[in-house]
Amino acid sequence: MIRVENLSVAFDGPEVVKNVTLEFHDGEILGVVGESGSGKSVTALTLMGLVADNARVTSGRILFDGQVLLEAGKPRDRGLYRRYQGEKMSMVFQEPMTSLNPTQRVGLQVDEVLRLHTSLSPRERKEKVLESFRAAGLSEEERIYASYPHQLSGGMRQRVMIAMAVILHPRLIVADEPTTALDVTVQNQIIRLLKSINEKENNAMLFITHDLNLAKRICGRIAVMKDGCVVEQGTAEQIFLHPRQEYTRRLIQAVPGRVKKNRSLEERREPGESLGEPVAEVRNLSVYYRESGNSLFDRKKHRCVVQNADFEIRQGESLGLVGESGCGKTSLAKAILGMNRDVEGKILHHTLRPQMIFQDPYSSLNPAGTVGWLLMEPLRAQSAREGARPMTKEDMKEAAYQMLRRVGLEDSYFHRKPSQLSGGQRQRVSIAQALITKPGLIVADEPLSALDVTIQAQIMELMQGLQQELGLSYLFISHDINVVYRMCDRIMVMRQGKIIEIGDTEEVFREPREEYTRQLLAES
Amino acid sequence: MRYLGKKLITLIMTLFLVSAAVFLAFQIIPGDVVTSILGTEATPEMEAKLREELGLTEPPVKQYFHWIGGILRGDLGVSYRYSRNMNEMMPVAELIGDKLPVTLWLAAFSFVLILLISLPLGVIWAKSANPALDAVLGVLTQASMAIPSFFLGILVTYLFGIVLHFFVPGGYVSYEKDFPAFLGYLFFPALSVAIPKIAMTARFLRNSMLTQMGADYVRTAYGKGCTRRRVMYGHVLRNALMPVVTFLGMIVAEIVAGSIVIEQVFGLPGIGRLLVSSVNNRDFPVVEILILYITFVVILVYFLVDILYRVIDPRISEK
Repeated sequence: MIRVENLSVAFDGPEVVKNVTLEFHDGEILGVVGESGSGKSVTALTLMGLVADNARVTSGRILFDGQVLLEAGKPRDRGLYRRYQGEKMSMVFQEPMTSLNPTQRVGLQVDEVLRLHTSLSPRERKEKVLESFRAAGLSEEERIYASYPHQLSGGMRQRVMIAMAVILHPRLIVADEPTTALDVTVQNQIIRLLKSINEKENNAMLFITHDLNLAKRICGRIAVMKDGCVVEQGTAEQIFLHPRQEYTRRLIQAVPGRVKKNRSLEERREPGESLGEPVAEVRNLSVYYRESGNSLFDRKKHRCVVQNADFEIRQGESLGLVGESGCGKTSLAKAILGMNRDVEGKILHHTLRPQMIFQDPYSSLNPAGTVGWLLMEPLRAQSAREGARPMTKEDMKEAAYQMLRRVGLEDSYFHRKPSQLSGGQRQRVSIAQALITKPGLIVADEPLSALDVTIQAQIMELMQGLQQELGLSYLFISHDINVVYRMCDRIMVMRQGKIIEIGDTEEVFREPREEYTRQLLAES
Repeated sequence: MRYLGKKLITLIMTLFLVSAAVFLAFQIIPGDVVTSILGTEATPEMEAKLREELGLTEPPVKQYFHWIGGILRGDLGVSYRYSRNMNEMMPVAELIGDKLPVTLWLAAFSFVLILLISLPLGVIWAKSANPALDAVLGVLTQASMAIPSFFLGILVTYLFGIVLHFFVPGGYVSYEKDFPAFLGYLFFPALSVAIPKIAMTARFLRNSMLTQMGADYVRTAYGKGCTRRRVMYGHVLRNALMPVVTFLGMIVAEIVAGSIVIEQVFGLPGIGRLLVSSVNNRDFPVVEILILYITFVVILVYFLVDILYRVIDPRISEK
């Protein structure tokens, strides 16, 4: 019996986990769902004994098969915990890129678990590591054993982490957002792997995610967390079909299921009116990536990352661009924005310079400027350009205030700095920044993926509202098929640098022509 | 292998450029070697004769290649200033022969001291959860970093030489006669050069380790059930050493320069005084060779650092 009882945890300030009770059963996956800051990761790390040293357990205890691992008011017993960590309980983390030691061969990193907890001979240990690699779905296990983390793909690294977690058949596996950093197709493989391990080993699993859809697919029971509290707990079916809490309902609604909120371009069109004029035409475009050599003596390599792209973006439409990471989505977007000049073919713009909304509002806004300064920056750049009509400072200020209101922020935000804003507010500022020069086309590169689900829904609504109000066109890049379905009139599928399918969203979803598209759609 | 070849070419090119730069500098800076040798009372005939003898009537480019050609044949040229006897100028090789090793040994000794003291110190400092030790080391390293080496040399001479009689100030044994004793005499000078660098390196390693301790892979290691000690030595140290190795490579040139200064404070017969007087006397064959030697040694150390870096970080070798 593994139980978290009435657990409350505080760092230097107020409690971030409040009276959380969770119970783990063999062979069951318990999902903990919540937005960032809801306390789900702190709960998991406290359970694993990995929470930062300045955390204080203010109430409750953790029981593991009759043994009290942790109790409020008593210091963490590291020696006791070490006997459990890795052997009876283990953890798979979110970031497979950084969760492995970059300077040690991965075989040895897995081997360390055996060195710590068993007295096997080196040869037996290696045999066991290889076996565990196979169990985690890694072929060529000898090669993997001798590889460094940077020589493996994200999916492979996560499999190594899983091999490390299951090698001693622990009673409890904690998986903290194990697929968030991975591509859609790889995500699904990892999910299937975790599920099959759970069935085979009949152990308990704690699965932490912000993605309700994912939780629905893998978890038997789900606990919904908000502001450090478990607000609702029950079987997956109960949670989804009969949510009792308002917050749970909101979470479920915010998940972009296959609901079309936006009318398609055809419907929006008045009778007799033709399709919108193209705002940008991309004709037979190939984009190259120059791999810079090591030094003077290396020959420069020229790699084609986008091949013969040919399409147009029409006035007032949202064109979705989907595909796995590395397929050339971002290279194509950069070429359209004029940020990559190593291209062949033609890009014709029929409106003002296109602008971009970036993925991560935490790093794409200059932290030193105030919101107002950030908003006026594109105007200053524009005024400084040759032949442009210079704007007075007052005009710029006025335009910035107008834009703030337009993206739903109060005037007082003008003097704040990005660090004082939440993720959603920052993304609003990003959008305002992109719109302030009145471009006709906006390229949005994964504008939602760094945000929480409820915030995602708000930003999507904002983007759609602005589109209708201002007649904008979007090139919307995303790996999330459901978001694209909801946002976009047409959809474009990219694979290995080629656009393999383009068409009306409804049609592509109903009858995908390409096998690859079918796979992508099936997996989300 | 290809990498080594590339490095070798870089090494040769660098030496070539440095030699040309030094040669050029002596063409440009004011002052004439002939006046400097003969004094102001020499007749124009005497000056012309000496000029002819030294090969200074040739065009500079020809002079340069003549000189470089000599070096490649193993002939380092002769000093313009020092003579072996009445008729013969002093060959540069002979002049610097027993002085250069003193300076290089001093630099090497301080480098070893830096490694031996700063690395353990940095690790202990990073591991320590003791705020008192933390504060003491913080102040101590801050102070040592701020004191210039030559002043430190004077303090060390006073404290260990005059007050505590650990060594005789001004004493010296040639490295050819008694090597261990020679190293004994180098200890305090080397320490004076090393102390500020020890403070910097220890600080740097400590900060690097503290940064690494927040990394995700450290959490993974704890999650396996590693002890703090195992996490430190098995995972954190190697990753934390990478920037430190780069830093150590960068301070090599400073250590050589520091050695040249400090040997004067301790009265060691290194190249310091010779270098200064040769610059003043426009004795450029001597200066050129000294600078080339130092450049060669510094580049060689950079090269070793580069290889070491590749050993520590597997990600480098494949880029």
